[in-house]
Amino acid sequence: MASTHEFRDVEAWVVAVELAPAQIQVLQVLTILVFAPLLSGWIAHLEARLQGRRGPRILQPYYDLAKLFRKETLVPEDAGWVFVVGPMVAFTCYLTVPLLIPVLTTFPLPLGYMGDILGGGFLLGLAGFSVALAAAETGGPYAQLGSSRAMTFGALIEPSILFVTFAVALVTTTDLPYFEAAAARASLSQVIRPAHLLIALAFFLVVLNDTGRIPVETHAGTLEFGMIDEARTLEHSGPLFALLKWGSAMKQMILYVLLVNVFAAPWGLAGSGATGSVVLAVLALLGKAFCVGAIFAIIDNSFSKLRLFKITEFMAAAFLLSILAVLVLYLGGG
Amino acid sequence: MAAVPAVPSIFSGSTEAIALVVLLTEFAMLRAHLSRSQVRLYAFQSLAVTALAVFVAATKHVDQLYVLAGFSFVLKVVVVPSVVSRLLRDARVDIASSHRFGVATMVLLAIALSVFGFFVVGSLPVHSKSLPAPALGLAAAVILVAFLLVTLRSDVVSQAVGFFALENGVSVASLVVAAGLPLIVEVAFLFDLLVAVVVFGLLMRIHHGRARTLSTEALDRLQG
Amino acid sequence: MGWDLIVILIVPFAVSVICWWVPTRIARALTLASGVLTFVLAVLLVPAKTTTALSGWLRVDALSVVFLVAVALVYGATAVFAIGYVHPAGDPGSAARYNRRFFAGLNLFAWAMAMAPVVNGLALLWVAIEVTTVVSALLVAIDDTDRATEAAWKYVLIASMGLGIGLLATIIMYYAGSTVFGNAYELFYPKVLSGAARFPPEVVRLSFVLAVLGFGTKMGLVPVHTWLPDAHSEAPTPISALLSGSLLAVSFYAILRFYQVTARAIGPAFPRGVLLAFGVASLALAALYLASQRDLKRLLAYSSVEHMGVLAIGMSFSAPIAIVGVLLHVLAHAAAKSSAFFGAGSITRKFGTKDMSRIRGGIGALPWSGPMLVLAVLGLSAMPPFGIFRSEFLIVSGGLQDPRDAVAAVLVVGVTLAMLGLSWFTSRTMLTPSVEDSSRGEPSAWIVASMVIGLAALAILGVHPPGQLSDLLTRAAGELGAQR
Repeated sequence: MASTHEFRDVEAWVVAVELAPAQIQVLQVLTILVFAPLLSGWIAHLEARLQGRRGPRILQPYYDLAKLFRKETLVPEDAGWVFVVGPMVAFTCYLTVPLLIPVLTTFPLPLGYMGDILGGGFLLGLAGFSVALAAAETGGPYAQLGSSRAMTFGALIEPSILFVTFAVALVTTTDLPYFEAAAARASLSQVIRPAHLLIALAFFLVVLNDTGRIPVETHAGTLEFGMIDEARTLEHSGPLFALLKWGSAMKQMILYVLLVNVFAAPWGLAGSGATGSVVLAVLALLGKAFCVGAIFAIIDNSFSKLRLFKITEFMAAAFLLSILAVLVLYLGGG
Repeated sequence: MAAVPAVPSIFSGSTEAIALVVLLTEFAMLRAHLSRSQVRLYAFQSLAVTALAVFVAATKHVDQLYVLAGFSFVLKVVVVPSVVSRLLRDARVDIASSHRFGVATMVLLAIALSVFGFFVVGSLPVHSKSLPAPALGLAAAVILVAFLLVTLRSDVVSQAVGFFALENGVSVASLVVAAGLPLIVEVAFLFDLLVAVVVFGLLMRIHHGRARTLSTEALDRLQG
Repeated sequence: MGWDLIVILIVPFAVSVICWWVPTRIARALTLASGVLTFVLAVLLVPAKTTTALSGWLRVDALSVVFLVAVALVYGATAVFAIGYVHPAGDPGSAARYNRRFFAGLNLFAWAMAMAPVVNGLALLWVAIEVTTVVSALLVAIDDTDRATEAAWKYVLIASMGLGIGLLATIIMYYAGSTVFGNAYELFYPKVLSGAARFPPEVVRLSFVLAVLGFGTKMGLVPVHTWLPDAHSEAPTPISALLSGSLLAVSFYAILRFYQVTARAIGPAFPRGVLLAFGVASLALAALYLASQRDLKRLLAYSSVEHMGVLAIGMSFSAPIAIVGVLLHVLAHAAAKSSAFFGAGSITRKFGTKDMSRIRGGIGALPWSGPMLVLAVLGLSAMPPFGIFRSEFLIVSGGLQDPRDAVAAVLVVGVTLAMLGLSWFTSRTMLTPSVEDSSRGEPSAWIVASMVIGLAALAILGVHPPGQLSDLLTRAAGELGAQR
């Protein structure tokens, strides 16, 4: 009986204790910060399994980060302060974006109005830019190659992102991510409407590109010629490298969150500030992110990387999908 | 564009989704490098059109559309692709079809054309309940992109497939515009396809027999 | 009355089937009989009012009869020509096979073209025109040379795409009708016309533009004319004559049917504007291209494009006299262009080439068909006393009455330019002294006979069209919306 009683107590506590919006907001950031390496570990593990290897532990990224933070920082002779500041700026950006997007809640949090989709996009862009700048600072050929490629393809994927934003704006008349998710939750016909499917698909391709996945880039490859994002971090070491790795894991998780919570499956979010529902939302988010990760791992294993100059075809496909979404909306309803 | 577009009904939403599949397949055709995969894509596209016919027949209770869907399945999904692939097998030529432009350029051109089609349809003040305007716009885009497929490719198979794709676009348009077509128009429709198979098959054979290739690069004697 | 329509429906088709089985001699005779019969029946229909048969599926009114006569005239003349037409290949086995295909195809082609004005309804009209594409594409390829294959491939590809658009136009017109009649109705002309005034205007407008683009492809309107010179120059001569004299006219007929509905629905200003744009483009481009041709049959093909442009421009005038002129022009062009092609066939046989730089002294080498070809070309250049002079005169004076003087002036300038191109050719190839001492003589008397038929018709149309024919043209113009 005692245990039941205790359980009731917990239950009451769970329902009764409301988290303040500011606390949830912090929790959003923490969720991303803490669980991003776990997600990376999960994907790496699954990929290995799909290839018939045992693979690293799921927790491996944490060990890697811990080890890197203990190491000393080596700065190339010619590199200036940008080399050091770049990774930090990027990391800060990745910590800021979760304030703006629906990570855990259906209702907008106080700072959620601080920036719209474009604002989030700018922050991600700033992060990418500072990483590229830091890489270029080293003078290392591969790092520079990586940053120039990343900038080029980033510019090419930009139109698709813009059109996705337009489509969202046409559906909701705002470009706040919360409202797109709310619109999708509102009815099933909203989810199966062609425009929504198209933008979800286009955004999926954008995520594939931005997380450096096949068919754009080999994720775990060691071949420098095909590298884009990975090549940028080649010259960094120690805590700075740890920040970059952690940052890229967070970026990946942020994009997944956008994909699931805004477009694909905006369900399972906390409707109120009750502790229980927030905890459930964290778990649901992890579940969804793991599912998306599984899909990406499967894609990684079933397609081959495009040749570098064929990547434009991939970009063209993403652009096609997003522009069709806008057109279908334009013609009424869609 | 000012007002918030209403969420479409399940009927028009699904119609549009299928029409979208048709258009996207056509873009895939534009990208496809092998004649063989183009033919497969065509079969898939026709399957989508057939599905659309069945869907419209079921939701609008037009029984004759089932017959049309059956015919179109047999002809477009089975007969035409198998005829063309047999031709490809017999031809034993390089099955890589040629591009005049890079894929990305072609896709951008096709996007521009589709936008044009959309705006033309969008300028029509037709907003009846029975006519999902986006699906009509998509059909127009399919037709326009088919023109691109014909003009930008220089091999017989791609050109023929481009024509067949145009035919599919007309099918989509007719299905969304006029679900209860009088039988005579349907007959006209099937007839069109039958004719296309016969003539194109024959001419492709003749062309291959004479030129020993399925490329149209050699067809530049008649000018001016 | 209506049996004559059924005869037209059956006879050429039956002859076509029979020609597949019988020896060439009989096939020729049958083709001739069928051609003459069709022509006689078509002429008999001239004074009649609207005739229907087969519970409304076949129907001719004055407008259809004009085009039926044009088709039948060329069909009859071609049947005569075909007797004198010999397959180029040598050995008898392949010649027999060729002839079998040729005559079966010729009759089927003529049948399909005769069907187009006879059937009732836009959908059936489309089917008939599609049949003409199929048959004529195979006939263009029948010579089985590289050039013929190329021409046939271009033709079938471009024309099929065009007709795909034409089908779309038909379906959209059907949709326009369904807003008035409900979902299931037949696209018979009287029915469609009766409700046309209530059709949604934008839809009709779209349908008309698509129809002009689609059927205009088969009619040879610039810029969708590109198949036409190739197909006309590479097809066997009788087929070229049928293509140019009848097929283009039949495609024009389809456009006129859409014009009829559109004018009823949204007033004639819009369709006139569309036709004017296409017409001016065709006339101007063809007139310029005419001057640079080396191939005799391509020259005539571009002349066809030019005349199609004249037809389209003529339809853009509102004066009834211009529409009468357009319909007369259809007939006169059929007569003149078929005899010109027959003459070209005669020259090709005689000199063994279509290259105009290698043809000299045609008028001396060919005592009959040479001068007659010159006459036919003069007729095509709108010289009096031939029919085209009369029809173009009517069209231009209609333009001046309209009053659209600028367009009429463009028309006159274009036609004059075309005349320059044509007459330059004539003087170079026909009126020059013969370089080599080639023998004088005609390849075949039948060719001469076919040209006589065409020129006689052309002269009659020019000098004094029979009263019943004038009456027919006036009635047809009335059906097209011209006020008396």
